[in-house]
Amino acid sequence: MSTPPTQQVDTVSGRVDGQGPAPGLGGLAVPTRIKLQEYALVGVVLALVVIGAVLKPDSFPTADNLRAILTQASVVGVLAIGMTFVIATAGIDLSVGSVVAASGIAGGLIVDSGTAAFVGGAIGFGLGLGLVNGVAIAYGKVVPFVATLAMLAMARGLALLMSDKSPISLLGFDGVRWFGTGEILGVPASIVIFAGIAIGGWILMNRTRYGRHVVAVGGNREAARIAGVPVRRVVFSVYCLSGLLAGLAAVLLSGRLASASPVAGELLELDAIGAAVIGGTSLAGGRSTIVGTFLGVMVFAIMFNLLTQLNLATEWQQIVKGAIILGAVLIQRPERI
Amino acid sequence: MTSHVLEVRGLVKEYPGVRALAGVDFEVRPGEVHCLVGPNGAGKSTLIKCVSGAVEPTEGEIRIDGQPATTGDPSTALDNGVATIYQELDLVEDLTVAQNVFLGHELRSWGFLDRGRMRRETIHVLRRLNHDGIPPRTYVRDLRPAGQQVVSIARALSRHVRLLIMDEPSAILDDREIETMFGIVRRLTAEGVGVVYISHRLDEIRRLGDRVTVLTDGRTVASGLPATTPADQLVDLMVGRKVGQLYPERRHGDGRVVLEVRGVRRLPDVKDASFEVRAGEVLGIGGLVGAGRSELLRAIYGVDVREAGEVLVEGRPVPPGRPDRSIAAGLGLAPEDRKSQALLLDWSLVKNVTLADVGRFQRGLIRVRSERAAAEEQLRALHTIPADGSRMARELSGGNQQKVVLARWLLHQCRVLLLDEPTRGVDVATKAQLYRLIADLAARGLGVVVVSSELEELCGFCTRILVMREGELVAEVDGAEATELELLRHAMPDTQEMLAPAAISDTAASEANAGQEET
Repeated sequence: MSTPPTQQVDTVSGRVDGQGPAPGLGGLAVPTRIKLQEYALVGVVLALVVIGAVLKPDSFPTADNLRAILTQASVVGVLAIGMTFVIATAGIDLSVGSVVAASGIAGGLIVDSGTAAFVGGAIGFGLGLGLVNGVAIAYGKVVPFVATLAMLAMARGLALLMSDKSPISLLGFDGVRWFGTGEILGVPASIVIFAGIAIGGWILMNRTRYGRHVVAVGGNREAARIAGVPVRRVVFSVYCLSGLLAGLAAVLLSGRLASASPVAGELLELDAIGAAVIGGTSLAGGRSTIVGTFLGVMVFAIMFNLLTQLNLATEWQQIVKGAIILGAVLIQRPERI
Repeated sequence: MTSHVLEVRGLVKEYPGVRALAGVDFEVRPGEVHCLVGPNGAGKSTLIKCVSGAVEPTEGEIRIDGQPATTGDPSTALDNGVATIYQELDLVEDLTVAQNVFLGHELRSWGFLDRGRMRRETIHVLRRLNHDGIPPRTYVRDLRPAGQQVVSIARALSRHVRLLIMDEPSAILDDREIETMFGIVRRLTAEGVGVVYISHRLDEIRRLGDRVTVLTDGRTVASGLPATTPADQLVDLMVGRKVGQLYPERRHGDGRVVLEVRGVRRLPDVKDASFEVRAGEVLGIGGLVGAGRSELLRAIYGVDVREAGEVLVEGRPVPPGRPDRSIAAGLGLAPEDRKSQALLLDWSLVKNVTLADVGRFQRGLIRVRSERAAAEEQLRALHTIPADGSRMARELSGGNQQKVVLARWLLHQCRVLLLDEPTRGVDVATKAQLYRLIADLAARGLGVVVVSSELEELCGFCTRILVMREGELVAEVDGAEATELELLRHAMPDTQEMLAPAAISDTAASEANAGQEET
C-alpha cells in the first residue's frame, strides 16, 4: 500500500527528506475529494437512469422524456451555476427564487415592445436586484444570509406589486415562448442555453483570474486580500452574477409556462443551493465545482421525473429532496470537528 | 519500569504513501524536561498526536505511568493525565479565563454551573503558576499571547496532570515572556510532572531541559542525550551531516533606495515610523512582541489603512489600504501567520504561488500548463520539498510553506519584500536555508525587510537593524556590530524590569489588568 518514499537530497542543506513524495506521482495520487464526489455523482445519475429504465421501461428511457427532464432542469440549472459562484465565496443567495418572479414580471410589463425588451427587462431587473444584494454584502458588510433573506421578501413583494398580484400572459408572444419551446438544431433552446451557461461557468471558474479570485476569497479571505485580490469587488460581483442568471432563468421559465407569474419560482433557491451542495461545493467556501453542480442538478431532475412517473405525491418529493441534501452534507462533512 | 511517566516503544505511524513515524523510542521520567528536536517533517507533531490520542499509531506501544495507553482517544489520554499545549492555542477567545480553564469539564452543583467554585479554582491554579494577577473573569481575547498561553497551561493543570506536552511554546513569546514560561515549567517539574518540550531554539534546551531526543525522518536518531550536548552536535544529528555556517555572508546595502517610509502612523500600534531600504540590503526590525512591528509592515503594505504618512517604492507613492496597488508597485508581504494569512491550505502549490499574479498566465483563458511550469520553477529554485505543484499547501512543513509564499513574490518579480517572522516554527537546518535564500534575494537587487522576535538571527545576517518599542522606532544599529544584549536594551521599556524576575509576573499581571480595562 505504501510507496517507498523517494529520497530527495536538498542541495542547500544537504538534508535527505524521506517524507518527500515520489516525483511525478501527482497523476497517480489519490483523487481529491471533489473528484471523488464527481465520480460518485456520475454513478448516482447512471443508477437513477437504470432504475428508471427498469421501473418504467415505456415512459422513462425515451427521447421525449429526456428532453422533458433537461428542459425542466434548465431553470434550476442556470440558477445553480450562479449559486456555485456565490457559495464559493462562502456566501449564500437565498433571494434567487423571488428574483426570478420579479424579473419575469419586469420583463412581462414591457413585453409589448418586443422579445428583446422582455429579455433585456428581465435580465436587467435581475441584475439590478443582485446589485443591491452585492452592495449590501460587499460594501455594507451585511451578512449574506440576512441580506439575501431580506431580498427574498422584497423581490417577492415587488413582483406582486408590479403585477397587481396577477400573472401576465405571454401566449401571443412567440419570441418569448421560443425560450421555452423553440429549438436550436433540434435541441430545445432552454437546454442549449443551460449547457452554454454551464460551460461558460466552468471556464470562468477554472480558467480565468476572476474564477481563481472567487474561490480564493471563499477559501481564505485574509490571505486573498494580502495577495492583492480585490475582495470586496469579487464579493459584489458574484451577487450581481447570481441576479443576472436569475433574470435569465425567469426568461426560460416564462417562455416555458407562457406567462410571468408573481408567485413563480418559490423554493427555487432551495433547489439551486441543494444542487450546488450535493455537487460538492462547500458552504464554508473555498471549494467549488461546476461539474458537480451540473451533476447535482441532473440528480434532482431525474429523480423528480422518476418520482412523478411513479405517482409519488409532491409532498413526498419535497421530503426526499430535503433528505438528499442532508445526506450529501453528512457525507462531505469534515473528518474532524 | 514504572519510573517513567511516558514510555514509547517502536512507534510507527503510516499514512497512505508516507511513513510519518518509522520506529520511535522515547521516554520521560517524572520531574524531567525532555526536549524533542528535529527538522520540520521529522514526525514530532505526529509523535505527540499519537501520545495525546489525537492520532492512532499503526504499530508500537505507548505506556503512561507504566500502563499501556488506549490509543486514538484524546479524552482517555486526558483522563490518564496527558495534557498538550499546542502551538496554536486552542482557547475560545470569547469565553472568560475561568470558562476556558474548565471548558469540557465544568464544575456543577445541583445540575447548574458552579461558577464561584470554578473561579476560585482558576485563581488557585493561576497562583500555582505564579500568575494570579490574571483575573478569571477577563475574556481570553483581551489577553496577550503570553497570558493566553498561561491560561492554556492552567487549563491543563485544572485536571490531574502527569505529563505535559508543549509544542513550541516559545514561538509566540518574546524573551521576557519566555523566561516567565520557563519559571512555570520548573515549578511543574518540581511537583513531579514530566514535560515534553518541543522547540527549534536550541539555546532553550540547555536552559530548560534535562535530556534531549533527536528525531529525524520519523526515527529517533539519538534518544535521551544530556541537555548539555553541544548545539552543533545536535544540529549535525538532525541533518545527518555538518551544517557549517548558520548565517550567510552579511549584505552591504549600497544600492539605490527602493523603499521609503515617511511618518507612517496607525495608532495605537504604530506611532510615527520613518526609514529607508536600499536595494541589496536586508533590514532587520527587532523588538518585543506587541511593539508594533507586524502592524508597521501591514500599514506599509496596505493591509491595514495608515492614518498618516507616505510610502514610496522606487520613488513612486503607494496609496494607503490597497494591497493590490502595493503589489503593482513592487511590494510583497510574507505575513506573520502563514496558515491564516498567506496560504490557501486546500489549494495546490501552483495556485498558491500564482495567486497574486494569475493574470499574467491569462491569454483569454489561463494557460494551465505554463502556469504550472512557472510556479514549479520558482518552487524548485527555492528548494521547496516537495516541488510537485499539484500537492496541497496543507501537506507541507512550515519551512516549505514559507518558501511557497516567497515563491509567490519571486514569480511576481517584486522589488521590496516585507517578511514578518519568516523563520517562525522552522527548524534550524531550514532556517539556515531560508537565511541564505533571503540573502540571495537581496543580492539579486531586492530590498528586504525582516521582522523577527529572535534577536540572534537579526544580528546574524541583517545589514542594519531597527529596534521598535511601543510603536516607535527607537534605535538603528549596524548589523555587523549589533549584539543581542544591545538590541534587547533598546527594546525594553525599562531595563531594570528584565533583571528582576519578580517584576516579570507583575508585568504580566498588569498587562492582563490592562486588557480588562480596555473592555
